[in-house]
Amino acid sequence: MALTPMKQITTLHRGHFLTLSPSLCSLVCGKRVNFMGEYRRPGQPRDNTPPWKKIQFSFAKGVEGVQKHLGLLKDEMFQRFVGPQGRPLQVHMQEQTQVQWEFRGPESLSQWVVSSDREIGGRSEAYLKLGRNSNTCLLYGTLCSTPPRDGETRYSGYCTLRSKQPMMSFDRKKHYDWSSFNTLYLRIRGDGRPWMINITAETYFTHQSDDMYNYFLFTRGGPYWEEVKIPFSKFFISSRGRIQDEQHPLWLDKINTIGFTLGDKADGPFQLEIDFIAVCNDRAHTEEFAYEVYKRNPEV
Amino acid sequence: MNCAPRLLRIQNFRALTVCLRAIVPAAAPFTSSHTHSPFLHGCSVQHSLRSFHGSGALQKNRAIAKDYEEKSEHEGGKSLVTHDDLFERVAQESRTKATFNRVLDVFVKQDIRRRGHVEFIYAALKKMLEFGVERDLAVYNKLLDVFPKEVFVPRNFIQRMYNHYPRQQECGVQLLEQMENYGVLPNVETKVLLVQIFGEKSHPMRKYQRLMYWFPRFKNMNPYPVPHELPQDPIDLARISLSRIAADLDAKVTVHQLPYTDITESGEEVSQPYIIGVQSPDQRSLLAKHNTSRPVFVEGPFPLWLRKTCVYYYVLRADPLPPEERTEEPIDPERCFFYPLELDVDLDRDLEDDDSFDVDEVVEGPVFAMCMAGQGDQVTLAKWISALQETNPVLGRTATLFRLESGPGELQSAAEPEPASETEAEPGPAEEAEPLRSQRMKQ
Repeated sequence: MALTPMKQITTLHRGHFLTLSPSLCSLVCGKRVNFMGEYRRPGQPRDNTPPWKKIQFSFAKGVEGVQKHLGLLKDEMFQRFVGPQGRPLQVHMQEQTQVQWEFRGPESLSQWVVSSDREIGGRSEAYLKLGRNSNTCLLYGTLCSTPPRDGETRYSGYCTLRSKQPMMSFDRKKHYDWSSFNTLYLRIRGDGRPWMINITAETYFTHQSDDMYNYFLFTRGGPYWEEVKIPFSKFFISSRGRIQDEQHPLWLDKINTIGFTLGDKADGPFQLEIDFIAVCNDRAHTEEFAYEVYKRNPEV
Repeated sequence: MNCAPRLLRIQNFRALTVCLRAIVPAAAPFTSSHTHSPFLHGCSVQHSLRSFHGSGALQKNRAIAKDYEEKSEHEGGKSLVTHDDLFERVAQESRTKATFNRVLDVFVKQDIRRRGHVEFIYAALKKMLEFGVERDLAVYNKLLDVFPKEVFVPRNFIQRMYNHYPRQQECGVQLLEQMENYGVLPNVETKVLLVQIFGEKSHPMRKYQRLMYWFPRFKNMNPYPVPHELPQDPIDLARISLSRIAADLDAKVTVHQLPYTDITESGEEVSQPYIIGVQSPDQRSLLAKHNTSRPVFVEGPFPLWLRKTCVYYYVLRADPLPPEERTEEPIDPERCFFYPLELDVDLDRDLEDDDSFDVDEVVEGPVFAMCMAGQGDQVTLAKWISALQETNPVLGRTATLFRLESGPGELQSAAEPEPASETEAEPGPAEEAEPLRSQRMKQ
């Protein structure tokens, strides 16, 4: 639904696609060739180095990688004797809530990627650290919505936190299966700014790789924690920062990542504290999808 | 050098007007109706009248044509005038909605063919924020009215199939996108204009439809709504923000001190900042139960954002109790005679009925009160604490430590009381304030 040429549109969510690929590149097997390529700032020359020149082989990294992958493989092989996803069958069948991400210790921060509009030339800053009692995570920084002076980018000013794609052994993708739950549950404490929650699911076709399911997260501010429940049926699909005309509900069987984006154009410091992120089953919620699916929205 | 062609042009222009004056009366009934209500006519009528389109406008704007001549003479033959320039010339006087509208009027009347309207609209969109009209729907509609009507409407299937007049359509979409960014919901007038300008199934029309589908859906979604126009008075602003962060409907906002500036006889200026606090009954009972041997802390400032405004507040809190001192208070069974407040019976809970989350709780100290003040120094906040003593006598017997930071801090309390942080919190002045407060309580 790009109405203007794609080049001009610098979307809010563009930054998300950039951060993921470098962090996932493994040692020897080259990273998966990204179809769209990384974001190239206007005026920046194209990187024409052939992929084999980017390989940096080091023996120590190789040993480390072998250890890691064999460890993961061993886990996969033996976890299945305990039960599905490494948990006893009884727990798996009876659970109504599941805590997906919690912040208890510094290693929990390594599952997350922070990025801001620095990548497109903006001036926002975002950092992630553990809270003072090291039981929560604190995302803080400064938002600055001055667009970069490159003549093409029109909007700027976002900061985002995104979970890393979980991986099995030998760099195979692993997905979260939330199909027995219907609600996202967060315990947060913000400073009154509105945030956006982005969920990406596994897609089949290449052109769907930028699809995201979004909903809003409003914070009250103040010294008290808030418990936020968001049904998955409320999430709407968007691609490259644009809401799509044809909506369909989020399929919960293969969830890749979750992210939080701030882009409310209010320049200044921000902070968001997250205690945990969980999914739960709200039996009172029966809605399947909050938007019309029998026709295009709007019908044109 | 420029003179000859210009003279010739003006001559031609006058001749044209003269000869049109002769023609126009005959065509006037058609043209006027045509320009005013193009909707009512069928396609065939429009086509037959098409040749008269320009002439009708000419007749209407005869005076303006003269104005245009004058204007072009005044500009001294400078053919390239940026539209930013037009706005900046007006902006020297004042930047208001009225002047913005006047610029639009000048442009519309300047040239009947509206040459360069796309550039003009882009320039106007950029200047809207400066003139303070970025949230004004009427101005957007007026800006959309700058587009010439019916010229860009596709007239056959080939035009409809391809992107007809892409630059103009992009400009229209850009205008709607700016409306979207500032949260302005278009109205029927916008739709009528878009249909007149670009036709029923154009890109701007689709953008309009998308706005109209999604905007009302998300309009009232914020559970903690903030008005667009925040009150200018800091006391009203503090009232709004404190009742927002209190998260309790029973919480009472108290104005402890009004802002006050006076000049004493000796010529010194005495000013008092405002102090506004909030405390809920729950917080008060928590504070009443507080162990007086443990200090309470005044922490802050913490930021709170209300749309684009940032306000700062301070918190009175204590450190969490160590685990050996924590006690669960039994609920008084006589608090409510009509139904039990606590049920100890094992309800028929199935194995699948466990809805709790398997996480360790984050232990934080209790919050006793919040306040906002005109100045964030210790003297002002000590006044707040002494004002709180009227309702909370415990504070008179408890040590109060000030942990104030120069900048906005993160909103957290340590799990265990850190001795280091207490020493850096300057206990000296706090203890000095102590006897002062107890004296006041005695009075």
